[in-house]
Amino acid sequence: MTVSDAARSTLVIVVVLVVQHTLLDTVRVGGAHPDAMVLLPIAAGYAAGPERGAVFGFVAGLVADLFLPTTYGLSALVGSLLGFGTGLATQGLVRSSWWLPPVVAAAATAAGLGGYAILGAVLGDPGMVRSYLAPALVVATPAAAVLALPVVRFVSWALPPRATVHGPAGGGTR
Amino acid sequence: MPLRTRRSRRTRRGLTLVVLLAVSIAVITLDYRGQAHGSISWAKRAAHDAFAPVQDAVDDVARPVGSFLAGAVHGSSLEDQNADLQREIGALRRQALAGQATRSALRELEILDNLPFAGGIPTVTARVTAFSPSDFAATIQLDRGTTSGVAVGMPVVGGAGLVGQVTETWSSGCTVRLVTDVDSSVGVRFGAHGDLALVQGAGLGKALAVNLVTPGTVLHKGEVLTTSGLQNAQFPPDIPVARVTSFSSTPSATQEAVKAAPLDNLSILQYVDVLQWQSAP
Repeated sequence: MTVSDAARSTLVIVVVLVVQHTLLDTVRVGGAHPDAMVLLPIAAGYAAGPERGAVFGFVAGLVADLFLPTTYGLSALVGSLLGFGTGLATQGLVRSSWWLPPVVAAAATAAGLGGYAILGAVLGDPGMVRSYLAPALVVATPAAAVLALPVVRFVSWALPPRATVHGPAGGGTR
Repeated sequence: MPLRTRRSRRTRRGLTLVVLLAVSIAVITLDYRGQAHGSISWAKRAAHDAFAPVQDAVDDVARPVGSFLAGAVHGSSLEDQNADLQREIGALRRQALAGQATRSALRELEILDNLPFAGGIPTVTARVTAFSPSDFAATIQLDRGTTSGVAVGMPVVGGAGLVGQVTETWSSGCTVRLVTDVDSSVGVRFGAHGDLALVQGAGLGKALAVNLVTPGTVLHKGEVLTTSGLQNAQFPPDIPVARVTSFSSTPSATQEAVKAAPLDNLSILQYVDVLQWQSAP
């Protein structure tokens, strides 16, 4: 990752964090709200591949965890897996369809929230699965589909494709 | 692409993920076991303190932008005049609603000024600035923190009763775990004989579970449960916590199935009081 990539990534994480805590947190339905922070690793994996997606997801998760009352590091763990998994699952797909990011975002958000709640339950908080997961899925999954396009575009700006390494015969890095 | 290059990239990718997961698990373990609690709390406090002015600035900007957009279009034609009149009516309606909101906030503050159950405990009145930043915890954030004398563990009350307990503080704010959070449990007393029970949260908007009530205990719908204040209790005695909404018992049950509701509407709180009281060590 270059210095300019790091600077742009920092800006993206801070802007999304501010939007999350000043706007999206106030949109509450049944106790849950849209979650743009969980979209960051998904968008990074989609836009930049598994490796950079995992690193971006880890950093975004560590930052998100600073503002959450849950166990520190949980979002970083889920973010790494989401970034890597999304990158791996989508790297062979043709990116021309406009509907692909919303579908990927919704599916990966559901998986991420499920993983987050299960890990929380493993760490001694079974209420995360029993009481909080269902409303979170109902609200955050469709919201992720709506927010996917702008967030993927924003993250793609921060993590542009790497320069071709292997010349004309080698292809890109993705 | 040569096969060896592809394989080495795959290996590097896998290694990156393994390193990130290992670091995440190490951080989780340190936080979970409390070994890095000091440094993690410090980092969280610093992040909240750094973020507070940004949040205030965004709030300040968002409001005038709305007003600016509403008044931006101005014309001289009849249609424009009509639109202006409609806008004025809208503004008057908004003012009336704002007046209602202000009156309701004032009422809330008046009640907090004359709490019948605080019993001389010093209080810090605080405004609710955010509801549950996480979908996996029922919490609120307040605009009063360590500089106002708020500390972790202090009880937080609304006009009608207990709201929760402070779990995190920073200089200009704090996080409060609501009584409805699944990790919240409050020792309570009720009835003429002062029976004891434990009120446990089940998630925001869900009924509270009242546990450890012996079968056959006399209960009434609407009965108010108050904090027990037993030795080493987390809350001072006699603060109203919840109202019984339903109870039932089956012959083989070891306890009554009792449900209760918080006395304040926790989803529309505007102001609360932090009681400057801490349990005995």
